[in-house]
Amino acid sequence: MATPEVHHLFHNPIADHSFSADRKTLAIARDTTVELYGKVGSAFKLKDELKGHDKTVTSVDIAPNSGRIVSCSQGKSSPAQNTHRNALVWEPSPQGVYKPTLVLLRINRAATFVRWSPSETKFAVGSGDRVIAVCYFEEENDWWVSKHLKKPIRSTITTVAWHPNSVLLAAGSTDAHARVFSSFIKGVDARPDPGVWGERLPFNTVCGEFMNNSAGWVHAVAFSPSGDALAFAAHDSSITVVYPSGPELPPRAIISISTQLLPFMSLIWNGEAEIIAAGYDCEAFRFKGGAQGWQLSGTLEAKGRPGLGEGREESALNMFKQMDLKGKTKDDTQLKTVHQNTITTLRPFESSGAAVKKFSSSGVDGRIVIWHT
Amino acid sequence: MSIIQQHTAASLSDAWRTINIDALEEDSSVNFDTSTLHPALPEVSEADVRQINIQVRQLLRGGDAEGALRGSLEMPVYNGSDLAKEAHLHTVIEVLQSIKASEMTPMLQRIYGTPGGSECLDVLMKYLYKGMAATSAADGNSSAPRTPTRMTPQQTGFSQVGGRPGGANESTGGAMSVLLSWHEKVVEVAGLGCIGRCMTDWRKV
Amino acid sequence: MSQSLRPYLQAVRSSLTAALCLSNFASQTAERHNVPEIEAQTSPEVLLTPLTIARNENERVLIEPSINSIRISIRIKQADEIEHILVHKFTRFLTQRAESFFILRRKPIKGYDISFLITNFHTEEMLKHKLVDFIIQFMEEVDKEISEMKLFLNARARFVAESFLTPVSLICPQTRPNSQVDVCLSLTKRTRRINKQSICAASSWLVEGHDSDALRLAFGEHKRIMITLSSRLLLWLLQVVILSNCRRLTIASKGNTYPEFEKHTRELTIRFLSLA
Repeated sequence: MATPEVHHLFHNPIADHSFSADRKTLAIARDTTVELYGKVGSAFKLKDELKGHDKTVTSVDIAPNSGRIVSCSQGKSSPAQNTHRNALVWEPSPQGVYKPTLVLLRINRAATFVRWSPSETKFAVGSGDRVIAVCYFEEENDWWVSKHLKKPIRSTITTVAWHPNSVLLAAGSTDAHARVFSSFIKGVDARPDPGVWGERLPFNTVCGEFMNNSAGWVHAVAFSPSGDALAFAAHDSSITVVYPSGPELPPRAIISISTQLLPFMSLIWNGEAEIIAAGYDCEAFRFKGGAQGWQLSGTLEAKGRPGLGEGREESALNMFKQMDLKGKTKDDTQLKTVHQNTITTLRPFESSGAAVKKFSSSGVDGRIVIWHT
Repeated sequence: MSIIQQHTAASLSDAWRTINIDALEEDSSVNFDTSTLHPALPEVSEADVRQINIQVRQLLRGGDAEGALRGSLEMPVYNGSDLAKEAHLHTVIEVLQSIKASEMTPMLQRIYGTPGGSECLDVLMKYLYKGMAATSAADGNSSAPRTPTRMTPQQTGFSQVGGRPGGANESTGGAMSVLLSWHEKVVEVAGLGCIGRCMTDWRKV
Repeated sequence: MSQSLRPYLQAVRSSLTAALCLSNFASQTAERHNVPEIEAQTSPEVLLTPLTIARNENERVLIEPSINSIRISIRIKQADEIEHILVHKFTRFLTQRAESFFILRRKPIKGYDISFLITNFHTEEMLKHKLVDFIIQFMEEVDKEISEMKLFLNARARFVAESFLTPVSLICPQTRPNSQVDVCLSLTKRTRRINKQSICAASSWLVEGHDSDALRLAFGEHKRIMITLSSRLLLWLLQVVILSNCRRLTIASKGNTYPEFEKHTRELTIRFLSLA
């Protein structure tokens, strides 16, 4: 297995990261700014800062084709000061300068998560206002307007993910439910083909609503590459995969894997039969399976890497003393994993068809790591 | 003329200052309906709990400790009266106390290996925490922190025998150490995820 | 002792590690706010089931987790009143300096002696397992600290009791009970070294009625405080003053009554115990 490529950018948490299509530009959500890094040789160097938010930036996404960057933050838009800073779309100019465009989100709480639809004509913003704002561009006013997905969301939206058809949208929330909505907007979207999730899909159709028995906030959702299965990771350390069987019918299979690990914060599909998930254990794990069943097949971390392992010898007495007094066996300040703190985002980095060849991860430790699957 | 036309008793007192206005708004996050966080749960009556207790005791007498443990964990009292919950906790603790330390890990591994075993251990973990909370809470009510009210030369606390809790403490300490060693073994088998599920799960024992 | 402590700390460690899975979460109730949800308690769905870990009824830990913060409360072992006082003083000392401890909560939860509040901002800048280590180490050290303080206190009390009781039992039979003496006590700034012999000598002066000479012998010339005492209690007082090496002892009593004096003695004893 090839060694992962590690870029330690700074010592602050990375809330979210996104690579441009050519993988030469990297956008990072750091504190209240969006930082743009350019690839110089084998390293990433800071080349631009997008300052427009006044609160913690929670999410950032680069549209692969248009190069537009959308970012959102915890601050809310306050019409009194005429600052609508919850979400901004950064339009690249030919000179490489980014100009913010107004987004009318109409939400009163934090914006938590944002993703472009695959068609790049819309993006969805999850919020603490218990709505998802689906935004699309309005030519005549030169701004982005939004329609709200409201029912039956009861708590903060933590994550959203788009179906390949750009109409269906999956969302996870702190009310422990993962849901699939239709975000069909007339005049923007082409009418989608009927599929396993539903036939007629007017805006705000709830195509599915799923919860584990042991509940837990949903941290990540993802459609499989075909769009016919949905996976979500929740705070009960589980991964659940749902295979719907058609409109108005109960799902063909709901497979929930309760792991022995700490909860996962993010997951991606690698083809239809593999899921990669990472979170509070600071390392990525691989799940394999299909509609018949899923299981954890192991970690992606190469164990026993030189240099980080057993740093120094300890006396036997000291070891037993530590075990006895503190109930622990090792005294170390460095984790054995590549990431030194929670991994918050996983994203496909290089794919061929449905299969992911490389993926990137970012975490609270300020590192970006590019892994081979 | 004052804009306040009338002084009522309610407006003069300051009770209105402490009203949680968020709770009055139906749509507020304070009024989240937590019953949506768990599936519908069948109600378990005290008679059912007694029934399980009898079955479990029979299994224990027959030497089938693993069957007894499984039996007590497969029917957790999620929806029932406090008395029923309490009674079932006693059943579980009874089973746990009757199993030898050397048998714990192999038994847990066998249970974890079977279908539904992970769920079983999650339930066991919930009962372990409940067991520890219940015993210490009972104490918390009976003897609040012993604060000396008067400082007299006779009562300076130098006496070694003075405030020593009696034999009751020793027995709860013993019960706790059984729960603690089970806790350790369950974590070894079912991992930290098991503790995480105890926290997230709204089906409470 | 350690044998039963280990599973307890192990249980606390694993529970804490599982509970310390925090993320940044903005308030759902107040816009533009980001508060520890476990303290705000405004959104029931982001609070998790609290966990209790108990070693026995006197030692337990309560972990209250939420999406962006957890609260850990510890009940420290208190076997008797002295330990209760020591724990109170000790935790008070710490909580008054809470800002230096980052995760220390200024006020403990009811029923517990000390509480910690860990938010996602702490887990972001500090290593999670080191935070857990800190709590575990604290739990272990605090027990040691309290029992050390108690041992030290007991040793001091024994010393005081010994040197306090021996001469009194020797002298008392010769003193006339309840005789009233006017005494001028004086304490110079420099600590005077007065040994047991000089007390015995002074007391023999007293027995013979040469009160002022006796005091001069014990304390020198300077006069600061006037008190009227029975000789038996006076001797007791002398013992205390001398043994405590007290420089700033102040006694003010104008009444000659016995209860008045008893009050002072009590205060004295207390001050003596806390100073020596």
